[in-house]
Amino acid sequence: MNDHTNTSERPVKPKPRARSFFIALVLLALTFWAAIKVSFDISTFWEVWTNPIWSMFWPIPWDWVFTKENTFDPLIETLQIAITSTLVGCLLALPISFAMSSLTTPNKVIYFISKTVMNLVRAVPDLFWAKLLVTAIGIGAFAGAWSLTIFSLAVMVKLFSETVDAADPRPLEAARSSGARHLPAVKAGVLPTVFPSYVAYSLYIFELNIRASVVLGLVGAGGVGRVIETQRQFFRFDRILGLLIIIFGIVWVIEQISVSLRKRLV
Amino acid sequence: MIKIERVSVTYPGGVEALRNVDIEIDDGEFVVIVGLSGAGKSTLLRVLNGLVPATSGSILVDGTEVVNANSQTLRQVRSKTGMIFQTFNLVNRTTVLNNVLMGRLASVPSWRSTLGLWPSEDKEAAMLALERVGIIDKTYVRASNLSGGQQQRVGIARALAQEPSLMLADEPVAALDPVTSRQVMGDLQKINRELGITTLVNLHFLDLAKEYGKRLIGLRDGVLVYDGDISDVNDETFREIYGRAITSEDLHAMNEEPQQSIGNGK
Amino acid sequence: METLSDTSTPAKRPPAPKTIHRWFIAIPFLIAIVWSLIGLNITLSRLLDAPGDAWSILRQMVPPAFDEVYERGAVGKIFESVYIAWIGTIIGAFASLPLAFLAAHNVAPIWIRSPIRQLFNAIRAVPELILAVILIPITGLGAWAGTLAIGLHSIGTLGKWACESIEDIDEGPIEATRACGGKWVSGMRWGVLPQVMPVISSYWLFRFEINVRASAVLGMIGAGGVGSELVSQLSFRNFPAASAVLIMTMAVVLTIDTISAAVRRRIIKGAVTTDEDSRTLAAITDLTGIRS
Repeated sequence: MNDHTNTSERPVKPKPRARSFFIALVLLALTFWAAIKVSFDISTFWEVWTNPIWSMFWPIPWDWVFTKENTFDPLIETLQIAITSTLVGCLLALPISFAMSSLTTPNKVIYFISKTVMNLVRAVPDLFWAKLLVTAIGIGAFAGAWSLTIFSLAVMVKLFSETVDAADPRPLEAARSSGARHLPAVKAGVLPTVFPSYVAYSLYIFELNIRASVVLGLVGAGGVGRVIETQRQFFRFDRILGLLIIIFGIVWVIEQISVSLRKRLV
Repeated sequence: MIKIERVSVTYPGGVEALRNVDIEIDDGEFVVIVGLSGAGKSTLLRVLNGLVPATSGSILVDGTEVVNANSQTLRQVRSKTGMIFQTFNLVNRTTVLNNVLMGRLASVPSWRSTLGLWPSEDKEAAMLALERVGIIDKTYVRASNLSGGQQQRVGIARALAQEPSLMLADEPVAALDPVTSRQVMGDLQKINRELGITTLVNLHFLDLAKEYGKRLIGLRDGVLVYDGDISDVNDETFREIYGRAITSEDLHAMNEEPQQSIGNGK
Repeated sequence: METLSDTSTPAKRPPAPKTIHRWFIAIPFLIAIVWSLIGLNITLSRLLDAPGDAWSILRQMVPPAFDEVYERGAVGKIFESVYIAWIGTIIGAFASLPLAFLAAHNVAPIWIRSPIRQLFNAIRAVPELILAVILIPITGLGAWAGTLAIGLHSIGTLGKWACESIEDIDEGPIEATRACGGKWVSGMRWGVLPQVMPVISSYWLFRFEINVRASAVLGMIGAGGVGSELVSQLSFRNFPAASAVLIMTMAVVLTIDTISAAVRRRIIKGAVTTDEDSRTLAAITDLTGIRS
């Protein structure tokens, strides 16, 4: 059976490639360099918990929070901003997504242009666009709505164009074979299949917009975010915490509604 | 009247799907095309309505040159050519009626079909087509709720709604059970006789070909190896087309699972 | 089963279904939209003015003032944003990995994994910007606040994704280690880790791409990075400089995105592409959509 006098050579363990070793070394060096540049301070990790700042979060002044001008009105404005920007952003995203998908694009030029433009738009953080718009248009809900419109557009285009890419191409072939022009063929052959996803994404983006409004306040774009920013400058973290709790409560409710609506669609 | 002259098709990857094929088909003929998978059957059908561009040669469909035709000419040819697919190519999420209306896409202005505002004569044409294939009762049923045979009928109705002069059926029964296959083949035959529409059908199994076909075209590796009356087919012919001796399994669709090849390279 | 119907007994056409229920859905939506538009004071005149304002700003942004911005050290600031994102992602990655194991239902019992999952959800719900706002009074202004904010937030997202990957795996290798007498840790190290590391490390890279954008933004509130530069240029309405900052940011983000996408592809595929040209080609294809 077993002949222990091994006549076949044992394979040699492959040497780790010098190149991977080199890459690892470079990455490690870069990491240390970066850590120094960001003033990596390990002591912060436990300092954080003992910092007196936490006392500024408590107690939450609910009487201040539950007032019309501090919470109710800004929330209404945030809602309106979210609705408007979701609507406009998602509407604009529909044709752009079709232009960006190799399945449904009418020609190569449009494909190239739309893909490049969208990649450039997405390369800049949304808040940069927001700040730019606020400077251009002025502080307030209008700028906030435009910023979130661009945000909604970017997110929808990313999600939806991937869905269109993965759609069943066969009904589109059938539409083309009956002699239809490009637009009617896409509308009849592709849209019905991807439309439920489109609506589901819109609901999701609406949720995102409400959350984003919190952050938009930092650039002065209206809604509840503006209240948060004002309070931040006064270090009234207790009020901010109260507002945040309300907001996330609302976001949670909307999320539940949205999830159940989305289930119905599929 | 279809005239195919020295037509060759080479796909971008280098695959030669058709080589120097010459065929002439008169109006109102019922032609069955057989051959192995990859023999060029699908390519032959698709080159007639320009879904696949011919690399060389000439194709005249009712006097119009299809090879290297511009998109407008192709659309005109396609609007008069109905196509039926092995996988039905229906829009699953929408109603039977909307699927059949896809056949009318070429004859209504783009804005009307995109908005869903079909003129009454087009709706009437769709209803008539549904009545002709006998599933008018399923008009408002979601396409995915139908059986395979019913779905293929919707496909036939869609093609009929175009009021075509040519009908191309690419393995219309490959995904159906033997009994339903015979019904669909019977429908195609009846349409050919009653409405005088020139019909070309790709088939896998010889028994169906013999039962329903009159003229048989055999392809092998892109080359035309048989073109004649179906009753003249003997073992020798079979060997020409399939490259081997006939077996009982080739004759009877009963024994085999339906083929699921989505013909991309044919 | 019928074949073609003979026209002697035509089947009845079914009645068209009522579409009234569609209006029940459409009307609330329309009301909400109109209410929002009115509430925001979106009149036609404002809508028509907006592109005009934007266009005048756009004209002022060209040509971008690269040299001015360069002198102010904007390049260093952009690198600072990248460093922040890098360290932040590393913090998030290393902290989230063990936690993710403890949150997976095929690894840990419910009394451990439930609180950890809730922790992940809670952290994810807080945007990095808010975290930074809270951290700045503690750590002071500067890059470290931004790094911590990104690191902490990433623990939430990376933790959730890693946990889902761990739950998705094939149980076979775990069983095998147990069968030959290995301890629980060995099962994790040899059974689970090799399976999930490709996916998880590609998540880490993806998170890095997102974090670069986040860190640029954090600069706007003084947590380090190029955001502060943009804010100051805009406050002086120095549009050529602002556009220079924007373009430089775009360039860096796109470069990082492309490199990261290429590395991620390679990790997932496990293939060795030694062909420099084909990698470049793949990168350009991703960026512009041109397939050659």
